[in-house]
Amino acid sequence: MTRLVLICTILAVVLVSGALLFSSSPGSASPLGQESTPIPNLAIGDEYCLSCHGQRGQTYPLGDGTTLDLYVDPSEHKASIHGMEGYACVQCHVDVGEYPHPPFQAADRRDVTLQLNDICQRCHFDQFELTRDSVHAQAMAEGKTAAAVCTDCHSAHAVQDWVDEQTGEALPSVRPVIPQTCARCHSAIYDNYLTSVHGSALTEENNPDVPTCIDCHGVHNIDDPTTAAFRLASPEICAKCHTEAERMAKYGISTDVLSTYVADFHGTTVAIFEKQSPDAETNKPVCYDCHGVHDIKRADDPEKGLHVKENLLVTCQKCHPDAQENFPTAWLSHYIPSPDKYPLVYYVDLFYRFLIPTVLGGMAVLVVMDASRKAIVISRRRKHARPLVGEAPAPPSGQASAGSDEPPASAVPRDNDGDEPDAVSRLSPDSDESGEEADHG
Amino acid sequence: MSEPTKNTTNSIPAVKIERSFVRFTLSQRWEHWVLLLAFVVLLLTGLPQKYRATSWSQQILATPDQVAWIQTIHHIAAVVLILEVLYHLGKAIYLMARRSLPDHMFVTLKDFRDAGQMVAYLLFLRKEKPVSGKYNFEEKVTYWFIFFGVGIMLVSGLILWFPEIITRVLPGGVIPAAKLAHSTEAVVAAIFVVIWHFYHVHLQRSNLSIFTGKISEEDMQTYHTLEYERLTGDDPGESEGGSS
Repeated sequence: MTRLVLICTILAVVLVSGALLFSSSPGSASPLGQESTPIPNLAIGDEYCLSCHGQRGQTYPLGDGTTLDLYVDPSEHKASIHGMEGYACVQCHVDVGEYPHPPFQAADRRDVTLQLNDICQRCHFDQFELTRDSVHAQAMAEGKTAAAVCTDCHSAHAVQDWVDEQTGEALPSVRPVIPQTCARCHSAIYDNYLTSVHGSALTEENNPDVPTCIDCHGVHNIDDPTTAAFRLASPEICAKCHTEAERMAKYGISTDVLSTYVADFHGTTVAIFEKQSPDAETNKPVCYDCHGVHDIKRADDPEKGLHVKENLLVTCQKCHPDAQENFPTAWLSHYIPSPDKYPLVYYVDLFYRFLIPTVLGGMAVLVVMDASRKAIVISRRRKHARPLVGEAPAPPSGQASAGSDEPPASAVPRDNDGDEPDAVSRLSPDSDESGEEADHG
Repeated sequence: MSEPTKNTTNSIPAVKIERSFVRFTLSQRWEHWVLLLAFVVLLLTGLPQKYRATSWSQQILATPDQVAWIQTIHHIAAVVLILEVLYHLGKAIYLMARRSLPDHMFVTLKDFRDAGQMVAYLLFLRKEKPVSGKYNFEEKVTYWFIFFGVGIMLVSGLILWFPEIITRVLPGGVIPAAKLAHSTEAVVAAIFVVIWHFYHVHLQRSNLSIFTGKISEEDMQTYHTLEYERLTGDDPGESEGGSS
């Protein structure tokens, strides 16, 4: 009995002290994932680690014959967000423990990174999970070990705070750093991006309105941008900013670009496919097929802008090789037709706006009037309860059989002019053959 | 035919001789069928493209393959309609060359007068409907509305079908204009057929002579009085319907 109490007490102490330990650790540390990784021994302070790793010249042999530099710059860690918030070495290097360390084997320098990278999820579980859906994780799964992992972008010991706590967005000071970060691998794209209206505004004036890489590609769950699905969904990416009135007003850019695109040939089809068959391959252009992907230029760029007729023609010819000089104006260029812009379209629209209510409306009125007059006549007849004359072979036959709703005067006066049944039967024009000629005669 | 008359017992039944006139020739009836089918197929494959925001149309246009199919069917129906139009116009030109084109489909001053009289009749300002010849003004409206409607559809449709070729000659702006005209005129034509044509041939009275080719004597007398008189040779002085 006393033993049981003792065990319970010990357990309680361990649990409480464990809870205290974690509650004392600052920041957004998440308890998730702690079960899968060893609990750090916080008794080992950074000084203990740095007594060795703070000294240059220590290396560790790797499988490929190269060596791993074991030196850690103490100031670098101190200046990092982790260092500033008081995280200890062992909170990431949880399984290293006291010296001598447990055995560690890595094929090469990259293997070291990949082995150590998993520890990030101990605190940053959500972000780590997102990366699992990314094109980088996909490449990694295909054996492309150069694909980016956490520390490739964030670094290992010099991790910086990049996020504005309030907005959840990247800090303004960080925005120019983002493309540089991606450029470590994607340097050719970066060079392209710098020439674009977005990239140049970012690097030259740190313009807060232009997108960096992550505004289009996402942060941790970066999609494969070469898929059909990405293509079909891509207009939404551009539309995020380009339909935002406040942002566009500063630059005098129309916010109708998406609606006019969707209203025209190409966008109509793309919008339907995006909804109905998001993985479908289509040859219909999306925004970047005409405006460029990373080297997007201002439409009114005097040299490369699409306002320059020749440039637009070249763009059209990518898909319409037979297109000639007049062809590009077949595209409304995101304009809403007006008497100035695309007057022909405007006037066709005006014509139908006039025609539909007047002509079709007029016809509808006539039809309704005709139906109501019939109804009125019928109801009047019912009221008068006139005896039926249907069977009588009355001379005004038109009225009797077919036009029971006709006003009695209708055909009668003319028929009375001598329209005897005999007269009709004499002629008997009832035959298909003779009818052919009679019709044309 | 004579069976029912036996039922009447004592008195001699009033035997009614059903006579009819030929209203439409076989080729005209065929033309109507072709026009009807092409019209329906074109609408069925065209309207989803116009009403692309609706879920039913998006079901139809869901994949690139389906869109390609719909467009192919639309183009085939368009070719059928073009052939029909060519036949119709060719026949008219041929008859015109032989100076034997019937004039009863041409719009005359009388049609405007008839329309006015019809409005007066519908407003109870007149007791009688205007009398007409082979085609009354409503039927002429139907013919010419469809005539010009098909014209707009064919011209705009061909512009949309061959934009690269068209823009060698015409400015690019005709293409969006054709697109707007094509999609709007289609709806105008569909509404027109439903409210005007269907009313006159199905609701006002059932008039199936475009399918049977025939019109009964009563209908002929009632609705095409002048034509009836012309064919039966009655009262030649009366025929103001033949004016053109």
